[in-house]
Amino acid sequence: MARLWTWLREDVWEIRFRRYVALTLAAVLAGLGVWGGMTATKENRSCAPGVVQPKGSDECVGVSWTTYAFGRAQFADTVRAIHRENARLAPGSYVTVALLEPFTATDADNLADVLHELQGAYLAQYQANHDTTGLKPKIRLVLANPGSTGTYWQHTVDQLAGMTGGSDRLRAVTGVGLSTDNNKKAVKELTSRGIPVIGSSITADDLANGQNGKDPFPGLAPVSPTNTDEARALASFAKVSAANAFLVYDRTGDPYTRTLQASFEKMLTGSRYEAQPFTPPADRSKEGSTSNVFMQITNILCNTPTTTNTILFAGRHTQLRQFINMLGQRGCHDRRFTVLTGDEGSYLAGDKDLDPAALKDPLLTVRYTSLAHPDAWLKDTAKTGGSAADAKVLQSLLGSAGKEPVGPLGPIALDDGQLIIAYDAMRLAVRGIRGASPTGRIPALADVGLQWPQVKGKELRVNGASGWICLDAHGNPYDKAVPIVQLTPESRARFVKIAWPEGKPPATACLPPA
Amino acid sequence: MHRGLHGRGALFDTDPPGLALRLVGLRPYQLRSSPYEHPKELPFVVFAGGRGLGKSAVLRELRDAYRGHTPVALIDGEERQFAGPPAERPAESWSPVGQALTTIAEQLAEPVTGAGRIGFPRLTSGLLAVAAGGWSDRDVPRIRQEAERILLLNETGSWLSGFAGRWVSKVVSKLIASLSGTGPVIAPIIEATLEAFAEGIGPAPRRLRRAATWYRDYPNAGGNPKLGLILLSSHFRAGGDSRTHAERYLVRALLADLDDAYAGVMQRSHRLGRPVVLIDNVQERAGLGLMEPVLRDRADGIADHVVFFAALRGYTHGALRNASRRTLPEVARHTGWEPGTSPSSRALLVALPPLTPDDTLHLVGGVSQGLAVPPQLPHATHRLSGGSPLGVTLLAESARQNLPQGAKSLGELLTSDVAVHEDNDGRPTYQELLDRLVPGGRLDELTVLAAAHDRDSACVLAEVQLSDDFGASGVLALEERLTEEGWTSAAGQFVGDPFLRALLLLRLHHDDPDHARWRSVHRTLIDHYGDGDQPDSARYRLHHELALGKPDLAVAHLRDTFPRTDTGSWLSSLVFIASAPYYHAHDPDGRDFGGHGGHDDRAAVALGRTDAAQQPPDSVDAVLHLRVRRLLHAVWQLTDPLVLPDPKVSDRLRFELEQLSNLRPAGNPLLWRASREWPSDALAGHPLRIPGDDDDNANGDL
Repeated sequence: MARLWTWLREDVWEIRFRRYVALTLAAVLAGLGVWGGMTATKENRSCAPGVVQPKGSDECVGVSWTTYAFGRAQFADTVRAIHRENARLAPGSYVTVALLEPFTATDADNLADVLHELQGAYLAQYQANHDTTGLKPKIRLVLANPGSTGTYWQHTVDQLAGMTGGSDRLRAVTGVGLSTDNNKKAVKELTSRGIPVIGSSITADDLANGQNGKDPFPGLAPVSPTNTDEARALASFAKVSAANAFLVYDRTGDPYTRTLQASFEKMLTGSRYEAQPFTPPADRSKEGSTSNVFMQITNILCNTPTTTNTILFAGRHTQLRQFINMLGQRGCHDRRFTVLTGDEGSYLAGDKDLDPAALKDPLLTVRYTSLAHPDAWLKDTAKTGGSAADAKVLQSLLGSAGKEPVGPLGPIALDDGQLIIAYDAMRLAVRGIRGASPTGRIPALADVGLQWPQVKGKELRVNGASGWICLDAHGNPYDKAVPIVQLTPESRARFVKIAWPEGKPPATACLPPA
Repeated sequence: MHRGLHGRGALFDTDPPGLALRLVGLRPYQLRSSPYEHPKELPFVVFAGGRGLGKSAVLRELRDAYRGHTPVALIDGEERQFAGPPAERPAESWSPVGQALTTIAEQLAEPVTGAGRIGFPRLTSGLLAVAAGGWSDRDVPRIRQEAERILLLNETGSWLSGFAGRWVSKVVSKLIASLSGTGPVIAPIIEATLEAFAEGIGPAPRRLRRAATWYRDYPNAGGNPKLGLILLSSHFRAGGDSRTHAERYLVRALLADLDDAYAGVMQRSHRLGRPVVLIDNVQERAGLGLMEPVLRDRADGIADHVVFFAALRGYTHGALRNASRRTLPEVARHTGWEPGTSPSSRALLVALPPLTPDDTLHLVGGVSQGLAVPPQLPHATHRLSGGSPLGVTLLAESARQNLPQGAKSLGELLTSDVAVHEDNDGRPTYQELLDRLVPGGRLDELTVLAAAHDRDSACVLAEVQLSDDFGASGVLALEERLTEEGWTSAAGQFVGDPFLRALLLLRLHHDDPDHARWRSVHRTLIDHYGDGDQPDSARYRLHHELALGKPDLAVAHLRDTFPRTDTGSWLSSLVFIASAPYYHAHDPDGRDFGGHGGHDDRAAVALGRTDAAQQPPDSVDAVLHLRVRRLLHAVWQLTDPLVLPDPKVSDRLRFELEQLSNLRPAGNPLLWRASREWPSDALAGHPLRIPGDDDDNANGDL
């Protein structure tokens, strides 16, 4: 030790050159040590650029603009295509639109849903950027994930709000996904910060403007009809009467189930039977023990008179599937029942957990409103409210999506309508952005949301693949086409007919009445 | 931990900083820097002293203390390589200074901790130009050998050492190729050398190119380095003052190269302290040829930062007339040196003191660890040797080797064999000492003359005892040589240094088995002083009588003069007479023989054990006679440097002096003080001083 000290003192410290070299080395080593120590003690909570794991969670939330696919292999193709399209854009020539979806969802239904939304949004982006007329500004698409149940919406919304400036120039958020409480808070926060939101599949009435004449979400424009409109369309299609209908609803509920329940109850005023509630687990994508409740409800149903043949279901899709499975095993298997429900029914198509026996039961029919259906405009005879030509634009785009330059996007499925509705939502966003800047300059953020009330009329409406999108003064769609579909024994959604909230298609002008 | 030499702390100490540390800026034996005492102008330190004072040991120790930490070179002006040119080399192209510069540069070039080799391009080109003066196309092998040695001074080693070796052989081939069949040699060689340097492909090319232009400042070179080197070479060959001038330039080249190695931020951040050049025997040609140019350049304002330590035999030299003079203890804290205008004032002459009794004690104790050393031996060693480091070291070595064999007195240690190196056969210690103290002939003559007391008596001895061709001139030559070599002179002794004299007398005694020469020398001197009318002749005569082992005359003289002489001079006569060497007879094998069984009977006489057998002459005071006899033997025993002082004898001495003081009321105080001081002085190994006569006779009369 003493010799080492002498060596350090005499052979290193005394000779200035060696002293400086040694000091530099020591500083570098100390720096490395500190850095190493800090890295060792600090968890790396970053998943990818812009994406982190919040404390106490292994979910990766935030806004991604790279090829990071949130660890979901099925997104990879589309995310690469989006990144390729984004990278193609010249700096300064684009604005950013974020797709807010639960990318880290764990159940297959939601994942398929998100994938279709992603594909639809991308196709609209591609179409907007490759418009032969060369309209500007170009659109950059980023993915915003608030977590599978939207728990981390605050984090993601903060991040999105931070992207409105700088080189990102975020001008709109589309998607949003389901009408859940967290999503409602997120939309509330986004709109209060002046960011326009285009909801693709939100249908809850209280997640829309114009409630009692108030606009709690300034700048929000849903593409799908509200639950009330869906229920009205459903009623006009099925001729439901209070005498032969029976309501089953989610007791705790979320905005979607509550508004659907309210719409159904309005139709069933003076019903003979008390509506039957059920209580699902907090996370409605979990199975829980709700099946037992449905078994009992099925029992009750069998005790009703044979005239009662219509069941109105106000609940989410997992519970809907459980309910249908129970109905398939009903004791009174000679009774005919038709289950009517909202757009959550679109999840049933292709659901592996659906009991085949229930599906093949000829006396059990499941019909629901779909947000969109690929066959709608090809088979329906309606002359207004949409057109087959508009639907074919998307079809042809899809036709080239298998390979570059558009694709590949992975497996495409249109039955659930999510792809179509996400495509339309993105188109509406592009309309808003470009409408706010006729000269092709970068529009001001505030101007984009102000465009919604003017999206109407023959020229200004958006001719969506799902039908015309004409927005009323509150930004809600007016008399939007509601495809009614029926679940086939092969677990597919078979288009039945387009229903209209107003009872008939809108006029060509597509102007909401006063 | 004690390292280094005893009694040289003023030079080697680190706390407080010693002279070496203050000048070099580095702690001896350690790689730690410290502040300089003379940050700008340095004194040229010259250690002065006679033979055996440890000058060479000091220089060797300095080299060991700094080797590997800072560039250090040690040359000895007396080395054979500086005596004359090697065979085949013409004298016109060789000088001791050139040889010394080569040797010094080779040593300084060695890498030290933190820095690599030093290159000497300026010196290389200068030496090559000088050497070329002795080259012709006939002896290519010699040229190759000489050129390689000089060019290797330029090697800076580092990673490219292999490359440097190739560079040297390339340049050598180039030089040899430039030798034309018959024409002049020097100019082409110089041209080829400068060309090789300017090509800038050698080690440290930029340095080389800068160095190649250094000689353009040579007087009359007119800015042309090649012309400068040609002039240098011709000056050198011309000899005399011209050569001195050229040599001065070569020395300056060495110092410039050294300064170059310390120039620049990078260089300084690699090196600590200053380079050290050690020159032993600076009075020789090689040494003077280095010292004088350095002193002159420094006086002319051409500064360098080399620490010079030189060793000068003797205490004065013509080249050091105005040098500041100090003793080593005086420079322990600071030198107080201020440069004057003359070259010699740039030197600082530091006289090395003899070892102190304490140093002697430590040294003897250190050498003979684990031996039962007689307690008086270290002090007695110091008394005999006068603190001469060589004497103390060899005596201590002899003690280590001979004490276990039963040697007791210093005389026995001197006559016993000592093996200086492990593989050597032993030789008598006194011979070993004399070989080193008086090398270079005339030892036999000096041995005889050691018995003399002054020039007259020496001449008488030379006339009677020595060959005719020696004569009075030989005496004078020897006297001058003793002075030159720094031996102290003393009144009343031809050989002033007591240690040298004791050794010489011992040699005289042991010269022949029956001591005939010893006796005849003393007889000659007794005769010389017998008919003299000098007042002191009696004491000289009795001194020699006593040396021949005849105390009766001395006793009679002292007894008779006691009542009527001045007490002080009586005591001084007593001490002088008793300083006679006591060498009893012994047979050829070294065994004692003689009337008293061969043993030293002085103690017995002094203690009064032989009084009964004594028959004092009838007409005298028997008590006084016996008392003086005891006193004489006591002083003789106690002041004999070759035996250990006997405590019982010293007690007796006190008693006898007290008794005497009662007999002489007038001289009472002197005798009384002597009775107090002498016994303790004798036991401590100090010379006996005559009370009231403080300084003069302290050394001289012993």
